[in-house]
Amino acid sequence: MADQTSAAPASLQVYRYTAGADRVEAVIGTLEPELPQEDLVAHASEALERETFMCYAVSQPDDFVADELCFVPQGDTCDILSIRTNGWERHHGDHRRSLVEILNNLAAAVACGKLRILDPDQLASDVELGRTVVDFEMADTAELQRAREAVDDVLKQAGLDDINRQRTILCISEAVTNMLLHGGGHGRMTVRRLGDRLRFIVADQGPGLSFLNWIEPPSKGGQASMGYGYKIILDYLDAVALHTGPDGTTLLLDRLIN
Amino acid sequence: MLRTSIAQGPAPTVYLAGEMDLDCADSLREAVTEAARGAQMVALDFAGVEFIDSSGTGIFVRLALDLKSQGTPLVARNLSPAVRGVFDMLRVRELVGDEVFPD
Repeated sequence: MADQTSAAPASLQVYRYTAGADRVEAVIGTLEPELPQEDLVAHASEALERETFMCYAVSQPDDFVADELCFVPQGDTCDILSIRTNGWERHHGDHRRSLVEILNNLAAAVACGKLRILDPDQLASDVELGRTVVDFEMADTAELQRAREAVDDVLKQAGLDDINRQRTILCISEAVTNMLLHGGGHGRMTVRRLGDRLRFIVADQGPGLSFLNWIEPPSKGGQASMGYGYKIILDYLDAVALHTGPDGTTLLLDRLIN
Repeated sequence: MLRTSIAQGPAPTVYLAGEMDLDCADSLREAVTEAARGAQMVALDFAGVEFIDSSGTGIFVRLALDLKSQGTPLVARNLSPAVRGVFDMLRVRELVGDEVFPD
């Protein structure tokens, strides 16, 4: 197990099992060589067979590099969310406990179909759907307001009601802020219109979400990092998809407009 | 962009106007630090805040906790429904204490 992971307050990894395969693959994070593949495959197969979400508290956390494992069947694949808390839940105050809550929120969002974890092939096809209506690069927090104004214009043109417009603007602000903070300092926001929805694509070429950097405040300005952007995004938007890896992070944020 | 103005006195008020996001950290901290100098308490008036996200909220939380530890309590007034909604969602009251919201 990597030192970085063991020193982190909490972490999330996502694996994927495809029916008939003899092993799982990593979709977020890395696959530790010592991970008991056979056990993961057996549980994933069972979840697929029963078409049921299954969640376990892990009795041998060191073997699985996880304290909690969730198996989420989706057609012929099963996503496996692996959450490691490293004991922080027991030893620290509310602020740190909240990270574990956030990871559990993410797991629940995948389980109920609100959040899709995309592999590189899925990402490549999904970002091409529809037609582009807004597209610009961002490299500075001073541009956040401009991004919100651009989103506001698109939402007004689409005829969205005030509450959903405000909520959508908030979500996009959260996503582009995360991109600037954790995605290498710059990235791209694209808005695409497809069928019944607007899709906001927020993409960077940073180091990928480690899910480790949410708990300590970023050094800039010494402000507290609430780490709650994802909670807001998952609560308020209609559908969310995420790809993250060493080539960067992309969020697809959908708002239904009809 | 966040604009600030200060009504001085033993219990000064910092009036906020505009948008509170990651970009407002420096201007907000500077205004509150200036207002808090020699003050018994500081009030933040949110009436002019048109937008706030979790980063803006985090900056407010950190300021409130910092001032509390320095013995200069901070109170927040005139929250719009939009600001209140974000604060409720992020459970700000639990983080900073009920006394910050006398209204």
